[in-house]
Amino acid sequence: MGNRVAIVGIGQTYHKSNRKDVNQQEMVGEAVRAALADAQMKAKDIEAVFTANMETFENIFLPDEMMADEMAAFMKPGLKVGTGGTSGASVVEEGFHFVASGLFDTALVIGFEKQDCGDTTAAITAAVTPVWGKGVATGAIGEFAKQALTYMEKSGAKEEHAAMVRLKADKGACRNPYAHLRLGLKSIKEVLDSGYLVWPLRFLDFCPQSVGACALILASEHKAKKIAKKPVWIADVITVHQEPFRAGSFGDPTGKEEYTQDIAADRLYKRNGITNPIKDICMAEIYEPSNWEEMSHYEHLHFCPKNEGWKMVEKGITEMEGAFPVNPSGGVIATNPIGATPTIRVAEAALQVRGDAGEHQVTRDVHTALATALGGPNWTVATLLRRSL
Amino acid sequence: MTTEKTAEKKPEYIKVDIARPRAYRWSSGRHLGKLYREALDNKRLVTNRCPKCKELLWPPAGACGRCNVEAGEDWVAMSDKGTVIQYTYLVFPLWDPHYGDRLANPYPTATIKLDEGVFLVHFLEEKDPEKLKKVKRVQAIWKEEGRGRGLADILYFRTIDE
Repeated sequence: MGNRVAIVGIGQTYHKSNRKDVNQQEMVGEAVRAALADAQMKAKDIEAVFTANMETFENIFLPDEMMADEMAAFMKPGLKVGTGGTSGASVVEEGFHFVASGLFDTALVIGFEKQDCGDTTAAITAAVTPVWGKGVATGAIGEFAKQALTYMEKSGAKEEHAAMVRLKADKGACRNPYAHLRLGLKSIKEVLDSGYLVWPLRFLDFCPQSVGACALILASEHKAKKIAKKPVWIADVITVHQEPFRAGSFGDPTGKEEYTQDIAADRLYKRNGITNPIKDICMAEIYEPSNWEEMSHYEHLHFCPKNEGWKMVEKGITEMEGAFPVNPSGGVIATNPIGATPTIRVAEAALQVRGDAGEHQVTRDVHTALATALGGPNWTVATLLRRSL
Repeated sequence: MTTEKTAEKKPEYIKVDIARPRAYRWSSGRHLGKLYREALDNKRLVTNRCPKCKELLWPPAGACGRCNVEAGEDWVAMSDKGTVIQYTYLVFPLWDPHYGDRLANPYPTATIKLDEGVFLVHFLEEKDPEKLKKVKRVQAIWKEEGRGRGLADILYFRTIDE
């Protein structure tokens, strides 16, 4: 293990479907300035800058080309990270590695996506190589639809449980000023009445296309202790990678292969002395593109036994006031600026550790928090945060 | 926090026409290329086998990631019959960004396990949502014209009685 690393600044933009008032770099600048203000730092205090974005979703190559000024990177070292849906978490890991190595004392990591500039589903479908795996043209949604169906059949979860997850997310989103969809949903019926997008996923079962950015400032131990009142320590980060299209989907419908989430959780918990995840960890911000996926992830991240994710929902364990809150921010189903989405998971988990989440601060005291990311190619990135070293 | 400004001007749009389509020249490669060739010439699916674990690699590949060995040329011709593992269908319309085809609505897609044990995602001929629930055994229907697109040389999978 290298040097200890802390999150000392957190900034994000508000989220919408469309932002015609700014271009990508101006939008990124908003998140960067918010993070600098939060850390009480100046642009000149940043030593290196790392970015993440889904290239081609906005139909441009090198989106960061125009951004050096807005992201405080002028004449500084840095990298852009691309690992699919997990990019925004990989960029945190990248910054973590560089600061832990001792090469830099401060690093700015940024995830961003301006989906109103492009066509995401077309880009996902097009981004699959034409020589393999092209062709079903349902973007990410089709895969999650099939997974929802598999989960339904295997676990015995009902559509009502998925609707309960959606209501929980909306309750959080309504208390989170940064969330995109704040719908004020009142009943399970309201969710079940929404039309189908891709059967059996309904309109309200799936995440929106959001525009936004999120920036975090990382600092080495001696720097963090000097400048931050409430540093949030990155205890560990893990990435597990699996080639996805051998089975033709995220995960494996036959259960022949293990999910990358299972392997990531196993390894992360083991090396951090976590034996009972929902006791030893206080809350989680997970990457759930759909409400069905959230219940499935409870199981793959070992929050509960297999096929019992929906029971956690039924018992209200993962509500904001519950014993193990999950996605009090409203999660991905409320806000999904893809390149920024996993960065927001880490940011929101860090705000919970600091006790600065405001109206969506969970009831339980959060000394340890987990943030996850999921993406195709089939990667899982999991980040463990702690209040003290 | 950053907040939305309320007095937002109505956006003005400038439309730019891009006259030239993008041209890509993808290489199928030595291993996938074999699959393309066999599909084009013989309407047949082939793949290669790992020399160490003897598992079929799918799609055909140059190395086995589990064993970390070069895969070699142990080719296997597969049947084009399989079992539907899971399916879904679009309820909103989409287009195919590679070839510009418009997709029918709804258009069922399925994860299919071929009899040799490998999986692929492809279209189903059956479109009736009720009948779809019962679809299990399927067989590939190959395109007669315009092959050369690898797996897309299969039009769709048809329900068979077995």
